[in-house]
Amino acid sequence: MNELEQLVADIGGRALEARQGRAAFPDAFDEQLWRNLEETGLSRLISSEDAGPAEAAVVLAGLAGHAAAVPIAETDLLATWLAARAGVEVPESGPLTVALADAELRDGTLRGTAHDVPWPHSSAVVLAARTADGLHVGLLTDGPTAESINLAGEPRGTFAFEVGADTTTSLDAQIADELTRRGAWARCVQIIGALDAARDLTVTHTSERIQFGRPLAKFQAVQHSLAEMAGEIERARAATQLAITAATDYGFDSAATDYAVTVAKVATGRAVESVTTIAHQLHGAIGATVEHRLWLFTMRARSWVDDFGTTMHHARRLGRLALAADDPWQVVVSCPEPR
Amino acid sequence: MTQFDALCANDPELSELRTAIREFLAADREEHGWEPAVDSWLARWDADFSARLADAGFVGLTIPTEYGGRGLGHLHRYVVTEELLAQGAPVAAHWFADRQFAPSLLSYGSDEQRQEFLPVIAAGRLHAAIGMSEHDAGSDLAAVKTRATQVDGGWSLSGTKVWTSGAHLAQRIVVLARTSPLDPDHRHAGFSQFFVKLDSSGITIDPIVQMGGDHHFNEVTFDDVFVPDADVLGSIGDGWRQVTSELGFERSGPERILSTVTLISAVIKALPDDTDDGTAAAVGDLVARMISLRQLSISVARTLAGGEDAATRAAMVKDLGTRFEQDSVELAADLLDRVDRRTPEAAQLAELLAVARLHSPLFTLRGGTNEVLRGVVARGMGVR
Repeated sequence: MNELEQLVADIGGRALEARQGRAAFPDAFDEQLWRNLEETGLSRLISSEDAGPAEAAVVLAGLAGHAAAVPIAETDLLATWLAARAGVEVPESGPLTVALADAELRDGTLRGTAHDVPWPHSSAVVLAARTADGLHVGLLTDGPTAESINLAGEPRGTFAFEVGADTTTSLDAQIADELTRRGAWARCVQIIGALDAARDLTVTHTSERIQFGRPLAKFQAVQHSLAEMAGEIERARAATQLAITAATDYGFDSAATDYAVTVAKVATGRAVESVTTIAHQLHGAIGATVEHRLWLFTMRARSWVDDFGTTMHHARRLGRLALAADDPWQVVVSCPEPR
Repeated sequence: MTQFDALCANDPELSELRTAIREFLAADREEHGWEPAVDSWLARWDADFSARLADAGFVGLTIPTEYGGRGLGHLHRYVVTEELLAQGAPVAAHWFADRQFAPSLLSYGSDEQRQEFLPVIAAGRLHAAIGMSEHDAGSDLAAVKTRATQVDGGWSLSGTKVWTSGAHLAQRIVVLARTSPLDPDHRHAGFSQFFVKLDSSGITIDPIVQMGGDHHFNEVTFDDVFVPDADVLGSIGDGWRQVTSELGFERSGPERILSTVTLISAVIKALPDDTDDGTAAAVGDLVARMISLRQLSISVARTLAGGEDAATRAAMVKDLGTRFEQDSVELAADLLDRVDRRTPEAAQLAELLAVARLHSPLFTLRGGTNEVLRGVVARGMGVR
């Protein structure tokens, strides 16, 4: 482990331990953890330009591996970046989130509804309203019009908005694509962190749980399931590593990153299916209760799969790329030019 | 060069090599008329092609130049290999000599053996078979009973090997045999490797015909076959380590992912441009599995090339990759349903699909069954 990985593991580990005394469902924003992240500079790591996507990935995966109840991706990778691009001022500390929605612009007013906005009670909600002629970025000052939770109990909000276009900044529609790409990228990285944790819990459980006079992990059928789980994670990790590397080399606004994120979102999406199924199967019924930690990871991963474009959405995109190519093999080997 | 290109095995030097092999293959196919095949590394034996490929400098890439090779790295070989498979080129004749025998010679061979064989391998003119499995030694390779006893000037070999691809066409066979009796407490001790001339007296080669009628496997019987000391590979008694130490490259190589790539590429090409969303998603799913597997495979190759251990991840590549190969056959069949059956492409595709279906049971068996591989992974996870 390098220094950053160790720091994230320490902070995340403490937060996970502190969960013991908290209500399990629905999940609540972890204020103590957020304070620790701000004090160590991890909450705005990439937006402060002290670090690149590789370091951001360490933070995202490390915190996801400890089921951190904070909008780290939303704050560091999405809201701060988008606000800066648009020249919209956001608080220098505190958690941030982004409300991405399709909107209609009529008589100087933007109308629309943003669904499934993560962590809707953050210090600032940056609006990203897509219209026919571009992306309008501003701040939403009212609270959510409806609230919900995702499978893992993480808060989600709906914002039905009506704001004057003059209070927003108009950007190129391409920025909306980059925003989605950044979100999908972050979810892939977070999913890997959550799946690693689910695998570790499963190895531990099957090594400790005795049935028929021996640990479950001594049964060959169980060993093969564990191996399958580990393989699926490594495959998804390899695809995600390519996405991290693409973002490091070419930035998020590039064809290479678009290609690699599309692949990674499909690969992680498919891995989540089999890994969560095996993890729960090998845990037995206890793994599907709130008192066990497993669901903190499996249900986060399961929810994140659908964020910023589903597995099918990305599969379709990649499929179209392969169908349009002169030779589909070229799409396997690398991102088609130009980058 | 970017790290992204490196992860795609596409940095400038590799990219140049990739272009060169593609150009060679396009021109060679044009001139000699071979058709892209499924599972070509096992099933398509073409000694002339192997010789032409070598003459163009694409065999023996990792063999040092002093032995007539190119002296390049494992990733160079990776790129050439995957392009050969992607084009379904008939590579079986030189395959095992180049993949298995050359690295063994470089690690364990005597200087005389290297001088004698490496230049012929690099010339694409050495055709070797692998004699490992036996009737009672499949997944449990340590149950091998073929034995070699010391005689004047060499060894006398007796026993029967099965599933030896291409033994009926090859010049030599690498045989794993017991040189000391089984010690039940140390089952892996007492093995040695021999590089045996297939025209030696006492050898009988019988075909094992595959379902569908293909013949590439054989049963090879050794009846007191004399093997001179000069043809002992490595050290007597060290055979198990020699056989298992370099499995990483073999298990994680492109041939564990790409045995059906010609079928997949052809079916995607044959689909209409305005194909529906559901079909496009099915194509994307298939391609994403391929890309992510290739990324994992390259990542293992890079680790191994750096001299580090990647045994667990190499076993994962083979388990995941060969299951993908198997799944891909029926996924391709589903996609084929969308292709107009009256076109010439459709007829060609149906042929590729038929071969893929006949070969697909072997994908998850050869070179170590997936059950064994998952055991290797489980051990790496600390539960076995």
